[in-house]
Amino acid sequence: MILTNVSSVPGKKIVEHFGIVQGSTVRAKHLGRDLMAGLKNLVGGELKGYTELLQDARSEAMQRMSAQAEQMGANAVVNIRFATSSVAQGAAELFAYGTAVRVE
Amino acid sequence: MTATILHNLDLLIFLTLLLLGYIAGSLSERRHYRSIETREQELVRLAVVTAEGRFDPEKVKDAFLVNGSVVISTDYFKRLLAILRNIFGGRVKAYESLVDRARREAILRMKEQARAGGAQMVVNLRLETATIGRSANRKKRIGSVEAMAYGTAVVIERQ
Amino acid sequence: MKFTPRLPRENVNVSTTHPMVELLWLTGGLALIALICYLLLGLLVDWAAEHFPVRAETWLGTKAAEQFPGQPSPALQQRLDLLLDRVPVDSPLHEYSFRVSLQETPEVNAFALPGGRIVVFSGLLDQLESENELTMVLAHELGHYAHRDHLRRLGRGFGVTAAAMLLLGTDSVVTDFISQAFLTFEAGYSRTQEIAADGHGLKLLVARYGHAGGAVDLFRRMKDRSQTGIAALFASHPHPDDRIAALESVILNHGYPVREPEALADENWGD
Repeated sequence: MILTNVSSVPGKKIVEHFGIVQGSTVRAKHLGRDLMAGLKNLVGGELKGYTELLQDARSEAMQRMSAQAEQMGANAVVNIRFATSSVAQGAAELFAYGTAVRVE
Repeated sequence: MTATILHNLDLLIFLTLLLLGYIAGSLSERRHYRSIETREQELVRLAVVTAEGRFDPEKVKDAFLVNGSVVISTDYFKRLLAILRNIFGGRVKAYESLVDRARREAILRMKEQARAGGAQMVVNLRLETATIGRSANRKKRIGSVEAMAYGTAVVIERQ
Repeated sequence: MKFTPRLPRENVNVSTTHPMVELLWLTGGLALIALICYLLLGLLVDWAAEHFPVRAETWLGTKAAEQFPGQPSPALQQRLDLLLDRVPVDSPLHEYSFRVSLQETPEVNAFALPGGRIVVFSGLLDQLESENELTMVLAHELGHYAHRDHLRRLGRGFGVTAAAMLLLGTDSVVTDFISQAFLTFEAGYSRTQEIAADGHGLKLLVARYGHAGGAVDLFRRMKDRSQTGIAALFASHPHPDDRIAALESVILNHGYPVREPEALADENWGD
């Protein structure tokens, strides 16, 4: 699966497109991480736990998007956009969407 | 017996709401999914892409902005699941269907608007999500989400 | 570029786990955490009970005593004082100033409040048939003080209540329920605690009368008769069989003589 965030796949020709695909996941962090982050907030710096969590969640959202594209018979997703939102306190939603296409 | 019920009234209300939330929530979710699926089938021929697309100026009759949005709330039961999930961390399965439904509904409403304008496709689709109701009452943690879809509908001249 | 309208076959964005399964996992995990915390709290309280000063306990006791409207009983106090004279000089019991009070309830029970206040229910007095049995009951309660069992039990109750208040807020129904369940004085001692208190009581009984007569009589009668009042005693003082067996083995091992117990003086127990 080729993933790009421009409207084409450089060096390849898009022959067919199937419409939009989307992948999302909602993740919560556990209490221990909250505690550590609270401590880290005192001194500042990177919250490694959160970075990892969000990165992990984002890659899952991309996987789900790719799975949708595969089900449609596509071999690439172009013009991908990411979005993040908080659905409820302590839970974040990671979201990716794009256009499923077939390239040659 | 009556005294016990009166004494534990809070607990009883909580359990009733939980049961009510579970039954009503799953019923309405199933109904919503059925409606989403049939409408998606109806509108499947209207192309939606996230790319800008290049058009021959002579072929395009009209182009206009379309948008669709929806606010959906989760039920009491799933809210409890999400609160519990906050302790352990991990995938909040209870809210997955909430955002999924919201987004698909928003896209559908946008497509319906595009079809009403006679468009054949929507280009440069963007999706936004917002949470409302949380800051108003932090303690209650209302699990509601607004999804919004917008793009440019293009009406192509028929030969 | 042509457009082929297609929809994904299945919804990959939503997990297929049934919400009830999710609920079970989450509540199960929560229960496990609560259990671990409870066990840790037990260890902490055990440690603290050994080191808790008697004076602080007495102060606590006066607070707790307000909930039990028992009346002072000179007849019982006199028997307790006689018993206390026999307590070894090095015993931690001498730091306490004990008071016995009587509560008019058909319930068959007696218990040790923090700070050296022993409450005897009139229902228990009605069941007694000899002086030695009464002495055994009082000596048993003294045993709980000597081992500081009453503090252990209270400490755990306080710990759980404090945790519930922190997690759920002070005005929550669940907090009320939990604190009622754990702080209630009818909550039982463990089997080992009871047997240890019995052993302590037996030593005092022998020191007081010179023989072990009447030590197991009350338990025997409670075992034989299963009336409603006695069922209540079983609830907070369980395992009568074990306790009889444990007492009898101690009597046998130490070669305590067993003689006929003294008849109970027909007294007005109250004021």
